[in-house]
Amino acid sequence: MNAHANVLGFHEPGDGWLFRLPVGAKYLLMLAVVIPPLVLVRWPATLTALVLVVLFLLSSGIRPAKALRLGWMMWGILATLAVFHLVTLAPVEAFVRPGNLLVAVLGARMLTLTTPTPELMDALVWVLRPLRPVGVNPDQVALAVALMVRSIPYLMGTVDDARMAVRARGLERNPARLLTPVVIGAVAYAERSGEALAARGIGERPLAD
Amino acid sequence: MIQLEGVSVVVPASRRGDADRTLLSNVTLTLAEHRICVIGANGSGKSTLLRLLNGLRLPTSGTVTAGGFSTADEGRQVRTKVGFIFTDPLAQLVMSTPIEDVELSLRGRVKGRENRSRQAMALLESRGLAHLAHQSIHDLSGGERQLVALTSVLAVEPEIIVADEPTTLLDLRNKLALRSTFSGLAQQLIYSTHDMEVAADASRVLVVDAGHIVADDAPGPAIAFYERAMATA
Repeated sequence: MNAHANVLGFHEPGDGWLFRLPVGAKYLLMLAVVIPPLVLVRWPATLTALVLVVLFLLSSGIRPAKALRLGWMMWGILATLAVFHLVTLAPVEAFVRPGNLLVAVLGARMLTLTTPTPELMDALVWVLRPLRPVGVNPDQVALAVALMVRSIPYLMGTVDDARMAVRARGLERNPARLLTPVVIGAVAYAERSGEALAARGIGERPLAD
Repeated sequence: MIQLEGVSVVVPASRRGDADRTLLSNVTLTLAEHRICVIGANGSGKSTLLRLLNGLRLPTSGTVTAGGFSTADEGRQVRTKVGFIFTDPLAQLVMSTPIEDVELSLRGRVKGRENRSRQAMALLESRGLAHLAHQSIHDLSGGERQLVALTSVLAVEPEIIVADEPTTLLDLRNKLALRSTFSGLAQQLIYSTHDMEVAADASRVLVVDAGHIVADDAPGPAIAFYERAMATA
């Protein structure tokens, strides 16, 4: 597994202002930065949000290399989006569309880089608690979200492994050959994660407050 | 203590016309010793046997009970008593960092995040892993991952630990470290291995072949039996 540069990153303790901000305020700040450019779809809004989100990350003591370490796949998607819009003679869109996606990812990283996953889970459980009467189990939802965050680097690694395996057989010109091993790898990973949780009895008992 | 009574595991044939495959056949065992090792060739049924012990796999026929609870009907209670360690710790660690993974184990038993966090750090410290608490699990060595996986399982406070080839992916240094950790555990430990030195650490060794327990003895005679069987196979 070689491609573990995680789109959402992982928390390491720090003492910057974002680290000290309560998780609820961080959620609101993230929404305040991410939603306007998505709604307005104008380049000044995208540029402002990008500058703000990068500023927030850097001013919290997160190194630029860590703040922007999204992995080759994410940067590839952003570049592809930009090139597509440039080719279709929409230069503003070439900045706005990938720019908004980048704002959303960096906005999410404001949360994930500065907040331990268990704290994010607790906040999610708290927010979802009113939905218990309609059958929503907040603990299960929080666990599912945490697993999703954890799964992203693993699945990116699966893609990278499959790419290497295909290349080792001289078949790299056909990206379709990646599909089967990646899908099988994803299913196997889901199964193993389920077993890993079951092996510790997690997901079978109510979680403590 | 774990008891298996007339346990068989059969998987249906994948193609019409083929015979069903028997992974374990009519196994009856009482597992009470402090250290029990399961040895056998690849595909002999070792992993199937171990997975039965905490209900990760259910028998096709027969019963498995752990601490008096049936794995088929009381799986939740069984899994709070019997922790399981996988060969590949990456499959076991479900969170991004060691401290988060240990905290996840504590969610069901410790109230308040700060308490959980403190307790998770104390558990990592007790295994000499505190300096790795906030690293990505992908940046740890195989041995470190296995020790973190063990810490996460121990956080659930199981009475019995089942480990499926826990040393297979480890280098010599990490293997020695894990053996030393295992030897210090108060819990009953049931593990499988291909390493006869590791098998010799047990007080009882079961030899599995083609889904049958073909030897059940002290390490010396059981390992000698297995080595003879492999040499003549």
